[in-house]
Amino acid sequence: MNIEFLTFLRREIYRFMVLYKQTIVPALLSSLLYILVFGEALGSRIGPLEGQSYMSYIVPGLAMMSVITQSYQNSASSIMQAKYLKFIEDILIAPLSGLQISLGYIIGGAIRGLICGLAILIMCIILSEMPNAQGQFNIKNWPLTILYLLTVSWTFSAFGVIIGIIAKSWDEIGSFSNFIFMPMTFLGGVFYSVDMLSEPWRTISYFNPIYWMISGLRYSTLNIGEDLNLISLFLCISFSCLFTIIASYLFKTGYKIKS
Amino acid sequence: MNAIEISSLKKTYDTGDKALKGIDLNIKKGSFFGLLGPNGAGKTTTIGILTGLVNKTSGSAKILGYDIIDDFKLARKSIGLSPQEINLDVFFSIRKILIFQAGYYGVPQKLAENRVDTILKKLELYHKKDETSRHLSGGMKRRVQIAKALIHDPPILILDEPTAGVDIELRHMLWKYLKELNNQGKTILLTTHYIEEAEKLCDEIAIINNGEIIKQGETKSIIKEVSLNTIEIEVDKPNDIKLSDDFDFSINDNIIKIQTKEVNKEITKIIKEIEQTATINNINIIKGSLEDAFLKLTNK
Repeated sequence: MNIEFLTFLRREIYRFMVLYKQTIVPALLSSLLYILVFGEALGSRIGPLEGQSYMSYIVPGLAMMSVITQSYQNSASSIMQAKYLKFIEDILIAPLSGLQISLGYIIGGAIRGLICGLAILIMCIILSEMPNAQGQFNIKNWPLTILYLLTVSWTFSAFGVIIGIIAKSWDEIGSFSNFIFMPMTFLGGVFYSVDMLSEPWRTISYFNPIYWMISGLRYSTLNIGEDLNLISLFLCISFSCLFTIIASYLFKTGYKIKS
Repeated sequence: MNAIEISSLKKTYDTGDKALKGIDLNIKKGSFFGLLGPNGAGKTTTIGILTGLVNKTSGSAKILGYDIIDDFKLARKSIGLSPQEINLDVFFSIRKILIFQAGYYGVPQKLAENRVDTILKKLELYHKKDETSRHLSGGMKRRVQIAKALIHDPPILILDEPTAGVDIELRHMLWKYLKELNNQGKTILLTTHYIEEAEKLCDEIAIINNGEIIKQGETKSIIKEVSLNTIEIEVDKPNDIKLSDDFDFSINDNIIKIQTKEVNKEITKIIKEIEQTATINNINIIKGSLEDAFLKLTNK
């Protein structure tokens, strides 16, 4: 690891840490609200799902929803801001390769996603310990949980890099988040089990990659759906690699960022 | 070895615009080199290719012998760029921006911190070190741009219109500082629209127009070769003046304006011819400038 790359990575982490009120706190707050409204208020009426209290059941999906949004937003908005104010030139003229630049942005976003995901899980463990909590929430397999959080945040951070490079405006970045990730996340089974759906919706759900990501985290945290675990892991790692390669290639060639 | 060597460099943009049509340029180590040209001539494209902001179409360029593509890391470490447009990060303080900038070029943090303080003091910005760029004036932002170019102590500085939009006092301060850096051994490549600035600072210049280098050489030689000196002679009877066709002259009121390359050689002959019919009251010699040469070469 050289100083050049580590400095760039430090800059990317420092950027969201300095702005923690805009980057970390809102993610925790919105997850807390979901848990209070859906888990506590409505959970008791819905009842347990796959042997878990409703509150515990929705926690992995909520964590994943936050990881996806935060990691994507971090790298896409960091690049967009740098393009808009032109200080991306400082990075493009530095002695950094396309791979190093893309990794700097990707790891920065992945760390933000990981922090948010872990913070939400820890917050839920604490909440479930409180008196009158709807159910007990504990992590069954910490290493696998961290691996899922990391690979998913890496995937969406790398995707954010690609969109950050291609996008011409903030609107385009927001559009991906609002019109693609948000519906895919909600339809990926954050608040329900896909088994509750009738055909063809159940089969259609299997084509949604976010369904597999949420299922993977549900297995690592709640031990639900062991048979889906390998497919989930394979998809998470494959998407991470694929988007990293594309992002590096775009920086190497200067697509849309160099004349 | 030259500091910068450019050979048959071409750039055609996706729009079909041929920004560079195969330029050759050699810049000696330690020189203060001016790249001049009208808007859209190809100056910023050339700088963009050297620094990695623009992809070349063909040709080659080397920085201190390092190819800008094959050895891009070593080539880029040798350059400090102050771009034409202000490009400061709005999230961080000036000090933080400069520490990060130094790190991008491999300068360890402790060394960078010391260097930041020294440079900010030199550029009279030390009192603003904890401010973000939003709170700086235009002139201060320009100086931060120069500080960014200097922070990793590169042997070559590329300054794309470093004094654009700054007041005269600050411009003179920057000129003095740039001369000082050049005297310390740094090679400086400067582009500017202030021809006076280039004439004052640059020992060598190249004039680029429509993507081609149309003149390159020592500043003084180009002025001497291309621009004309003007001799203004005030006489009592301008209507009676008869000057031979060898001279390019015009008469306005009672002042005769003669343009010539060789003032010393021609002036005696001119005076003799004029004194045959009129009395000379005053003689004023205006030396040719780089601006004249520039306008002549670029047909402006």
